[in-house]
Amino acid sequence: MQKSLIAVSSITYAMKAKKLLNNMGLYCEIQKTPKNLGSGCGYSIRVRDDLRYIFSILDAENIAHKAYQKLPE
Amino acid sequence: MIYFDNSATTFPKPSAVITKACYSLKYLGGNPGRSGHKMSVRVADEVYKVREKIAQFFNAKPENIVFTLNCTHAINFAMKGIMQSGGHIIISSLEHNAVSRPAFALAYNRKNVSVSVAKVAESNEKTIANFKSLIRRNTKCICMMAASNVTGEILPFKEIAAVCQKRGICFILDAAQGAGVMDIKLGEGINFICCAGHKGLYGLSGTGVLISDGKYPLSTIIEGGTGATSLELKQTDFLPEQLESGTINVPGIISLGAGVDFVKENGIDNIRRKEDRLCDIFASQVGQLDNFTVIREDNKEYAPLVSFSYKNANSFEVTEYLSNRGFALRGGFHCSALAHKSLGTVEDGLTRFSPSVFNSELEVRKVVTELKKVNNIGI
Repeated sequence: MQKSLIAVSSITYAMKAKKLLNNMGLYCEIQKTPKNLGSGCGYSIRVRDDLRYIFSILDAENIAHKAYQKLPE
Repeated sequence: MIYFDNSATTFPKPSAVITKACYSLKYLGGNPGRSGHKMSVRVADEVYKVREKIAQFFNAKPENIVFTLNCTHAINFAMKGIMQSGGHIIISSLEHNAVSRPAFALAYNRKNVSVSVAKVAESNEKTIANFKSLIRRNTKCICMMAASNVTGEILPFKEIAAVCQKRGICFILDAAQGAGVMDIKLGEGINFICCAGHKGLYGLSGTGVLISDGKYPLSTIIEGGTGATSLELKQTDFLPEQLESGTINVPGIISLGAGVDFVKENGIDNIRRKEDRLCDIFASQVGQLDNFTVIREDNKEYAPLVSFSYKNANSFEVTEYLSNRGFALRGGFHCSALAHKSLGTVEDGLTRFSPSVFNSELEVRKVVTELKKVNNIGI
């Protein structure tokens, strides 16, 4: 599955998202948000599952996601 | 030195706390939430784990755990954040300066803020009634302590929080003397808990926590770098980063996690039971001495500390005498102007005995023996 990058609010929310997704057996890693995806110095989560599914999980836990991009395979 | 000043800060610290502080200094390099390299993210992960531990301990969400320098900072963040747009605030007559000074600073400096002091009475019912009688249409916040740092008296904060919940008033709890020895959790009207990390939670000095239930957004009183929204001039507006401007105290936070683990493993009830027993021994023995007065009343409940006065010398002289004989107790006014005015002890202050879980009955008997000598032959 193609990986995607989702910009979240902060490192705390990136950690929360990673723990949540990892606990569900889903791949999730944290990285700095690239400049084209955020307003500087934020954090993103790298995921590889269906984005709609990931967003539904994040939304249920009030983890705001600002922007996303598909990563090259 | 036998240490009985644990209400100021606990000592010794559990070995796991010391180990974690050393581990952090040795191995957890990097600034969490800033640089994004692997070391930085690893530290952020460790910090987040502590947020989770504290959240679980106080029934909060990890993202609503704000690390501060101490309890005073946490109270200032909460109180000034809530009162930013003005209104009326109520505090109790036993408050530490950590509550009373920011409240009165708001009232002195801002035309749209007023403060009332509710008298802590001889019974909880009367105290609750005193708080209720002061509530006005514009009362925005009640901020009060769980237990007095001067007398140990436990205030009816749960009942007053419930009143706040019914009336739509924000309730801020100063849990400096309660966290770690009392079952304190968010909910049932408690919107914010402020506590020190270095007292009953056995962390290092320079640690405190503000715990929010997320219902009341706070304005900031300091702004700066948060590691988020860096290109915006407007302060980050979500917890915890909103209130964590500047680099956080990583060794303090990591070791605070070990302190919380220590409290959980030992059990709040067990810790409290032991400290209460030590206080009961102290209070009953010293209470029998002709020249000493122990500040305790039969119908009241106390956190594990005991304050007393000596007829023939002030509290500074008593603590100096004890210090010279190897006992660390605190005398004076305990940063509590309101409490000493209420208690009528502004002249001589009080001497405070506050054990931790590491103290023994033998140590208590030793200090009591010393006070018996004072009783018989003076200082």
